[in-house]
Amino acid sequence: MSTRIIETRELTKRYRGGVLAVDGVSFCVKEGEIFGLLGPNGAGKSTTIQMLITLIRPTAGLAEVCGYDVSENPDAVRRCIGYVSQDIAVDESLTGRENLELQGRFYHLPKNILESRTAELLEMLELTGRADDMVSTYSGGMRKRLDIAEGLIHRPRILFLDEPTLGLDIQTRRRIWDYIEELRSMHGITVFLTTHYMEEADHLCDRVAIIDEGRIVAIGSPAELKAQIGGDLVTLQLAGRDGLCKDKLRSELSSLAPVERVVADKTETYTLVVRDGERALPGIFSRLIDLGVSIESVNMKRPTLDDVFLHYTGKELRDKEGTSSYYRTSAAIRRARR
Amino acid sequence: MFTNTFFADTWWVCWRELKHLLGQKMRVFMTLFQPFMWLTLMGNLFERVAMIPGFPASKYLDYMTPGIVVMVTLFAGMFGGMSIVWDRRLGFFQKLLAAPISRAAVVAGKMLAIGIQTAFQAVVILVIAWGMGVRFEAGPVGILPLAVLAFLLSTVFAGLSLSLGAVLTSHEALIAVVNFLTMPVVFTSNAMMPLDLMPDWLAGLATWNPLSYAINPMRGLFLNGWAWNELLTGAVVLALVSLVTGGLATTLIRRSLA
Repeated sequence: MSTRIIETRELTKRYRGGVLAVDGVSFCVKEGEIFGLLGPNGAGKSTTIQMLITLIRPTAGLAEVCGYDVSENPDAVRRCIGYVSQDIAVDESLTGRENLELQGRFYHLPKNILESRTAELLEMLELTGRADDMVSTYSGGMRKRLDIAEGLIHRPRILFLDEPTLGLDIQTRRRIWDYIEELRSMHGITVFLTTHYMEEADHLCDRVAIIDEGRIVAIGSPAELKAQIGGDLVTLQLAGRDGLCKDKLRSELSSLAPVERVVADKTETYTLVVRDGERALPGIFSRLIDLGVSIESVNMKRPTLDDVFLHYTGKELRDKEGTSSYYRTSAAIRRARR
Repeated sequence: MFTNTFFADTWWVCWRELKHLLGQKMRVFMTLFQPFMWLTLMGNLFERVAMIPGFPASKYLDYMTPGIVVMVTLFAGMFGGMSIVWDRRLGFFQKLLAAPISRAAVVAGKMLAIGIQTAFQAVVILVIAWGMGVRFEAGPVGILPLAVLAFLLSTVFAGLSLSLGAVLTSHEALIAVVNFLTMPVVFTSNAMMPLDLMPDWLAGLATWNPLSYAINPMRGLFLNGWAWNELLTGAVVLALVSLVTGGLATTLIRRSLA
């Protein structure tokens, strides 16, 4: 059984001022899936999630969540989703329990259900012992857990998590991942998350959509996406070429049977995509030795989603942050959003 | 606009605001201490104003106490929009709007909390003023209409401030606009001076100022006792204006989701 619980068609958002934040995005999410939107900051992830949770109105295109159109029936959408924003939006001047109960009130839960569910969620997110302390005394990880609990108080069919582990330390991140997996496995909740951490998308998501500059460039399971690279990535650092010119060496490398292609050559460093890298390496070495090329070092790795991102966009996921064009775009989006 | 859960939503938004207020002991203390300061300082500073021929009260403090109720109310209302700016900055506002909660209830809840706060303040001011020998002709039951008028007046300006908060995104900008507006609103009313002693153009403005619709009936309670006509007119006008400013805030919040 795989019903489509989220479906978008050519979903587009152009902010006042002309910035095209999301540019004709189409995808669907199946019920019970953990689906991730992966991309650098400013790629359009937040705008996409905000359109799905009815906080931003699409300029064009269609989005259906739980079978309801986000523009035409926003209240019905709101009732069946939970939303945890990237700001840790818990109220510091209330206790943890009060925060949870207040959130439940906004979803119109009757008192008896509210009480039992609050207790259950506090237990699940390991906050029971501190439930009646003021949130101002909570650590960052506890606040995040409380925030996630609030998103679950009304048993939503879909939980939207915007950058769920932003700014959290490694241990806390791992725990949040465990909770998310537990939600799906034990309660069958569909999880839609955005992240710019490729490890997060890789570890957690059944399927990932890679988004860049408002467009989805690739979509599939992490394994499928990585398979599209076509093999393992082998990086050779050469000590000397014995007079062999670069182009010749490149074509020699490309002609080897397991080598799919040479993806980069920077000075004396060559990166190859190689099928079944472990078995192919000896053959590559012996060919290079025959050619009189001496190898200084070698590195082989399985492709990561980072490499997938590079493959589709020509850019490094990590390096994207902090470029001037990113700052220009995100500043324009912030201006237009308010 | 009004769903069947409107009143419950309003109450829970209000509950949170009241919790915030009560959680800050310094704020509670200041809201009670401030009117005391004002009464003492203003009563002494303007003591001799009451000697101006045509001044309607024999002691300036008798005249000024309702003016202070109104000013405290105005300030509390005018800063009501701050909570929206903070909530937005903390992300709480977005979380609230992602819930199936009536947008009008978000506004109404915040207005209600400010109204309750100022109604209490009005009562405190009256009690302090009594202690200082101020005349209150309407007698102890007059506390009720005084509190109601303070409640309604604060919601008028809370609605205005929430509208500003829906549009302005920084609290610096909101504070600047509120500071710019507040004193002119006081000066173009009869809070400090009777209409008869004002220049005509200023008196003309004062008749349009919502502040005057609170201060006239309040002053009546202090100086003359019960005047039903004036009390009802004031209450109805203020209630209608607060519906308008609250409606404006709701509309602007809806539009901010474009």
